[in-house]
Amino acid sequence: MDESSTTTLGDRVRRAQRGDEVALRELIVSYQHRVAGFAYAITGRSDSVEDLAQMVFVKMARAIPRLKAPEQFEPWLFRLARNTCIDHLRRQKLRRIFIPFAPEHENVPEPSGAVDAEELDALRHALAQLRPKDRALLALVQEGRSHAEIAETFGTSVAAVKARLHRAREQLRQHYQSDEN
Amino acid sequence: MKTENQAWVRLREHAAAQIAPGFPDRVLRAARAASSPLFIAHFAMCAVTAAACLVAVALYHARASGDEDAQSLAGWGEITSQASDLEQGL
Repeated sequence: MDESSTTTLGDRVRRAQRGDEVALRELIVSYQHRVAGFAYAITGRSDSVEDLAQMVFVKMARAIPRLKAPEQFEPWLFRLARNTCIDHLRRQKLRRIFIPFAPEHENVPEPSGAVDAEELDALRHALAQLRPKDRALLALVQEGRSHAEIAETFGTSVAAVKARLHRAREQLRQHYQSDEN
Repeated sequence: MKTENQAWVRLREHAAAQIAPGFPDRVLRAARAASSPLFIAHFAMCAVTAAACLVAVALYHARASGDEDAQSLAGWGEITSQASDLEQGL
């Protein structure tokens, strides 16, 4: 991201912090697709992508006045998105304890036509084999987050992020290749 | 590796396609509703109801266990007096 775009983003965030709805709208438009991709990588469900993205942006709209460093908006937004997706998966797991479904209803397949490419299907299946936190880690890397930013998001050290990332990439590669074969 | 990268691109495209037109407006409406006084009042009402239930349960529990303690004490008193009567009889 170059300096001018950072300034524009910072300016937009500051306007949104002052309650400017146009700026808030611009932020949503700029990030809606990236947040959707991020949520999809973690949950693997097309049908919950829009709901999750909406939850993330509603949280963003409510919390943005409290963001201390506007230039840190992007890592902050993806931290919010990561926590929202992990919470969603946790709630789903908890719900399954109280409302146990029959095994055949446990993993309802994606609606037909939802996934049109083989390679995407293979990646989705490979991601599903990983832990949600590892999926979030890989999705953050795909979003261009630095190791330092990811370490801050996960509340851990850069060395630990590198080690986990290496493991997660290896696992993904193994599952991805076995799915492709 | 190339196909994996392509798959990530596909994944992002597929996810982006799930966002229906008018999404920003829906988000802003939801955000407004979430911070409206009505929502806050509703939330406060829920919190007050939960607190009242908690107090009622605590009061009932305190009362029930108090009654139980009194009953037990009375029972023990009776046993003690019977035991001392027995001792005197012996």
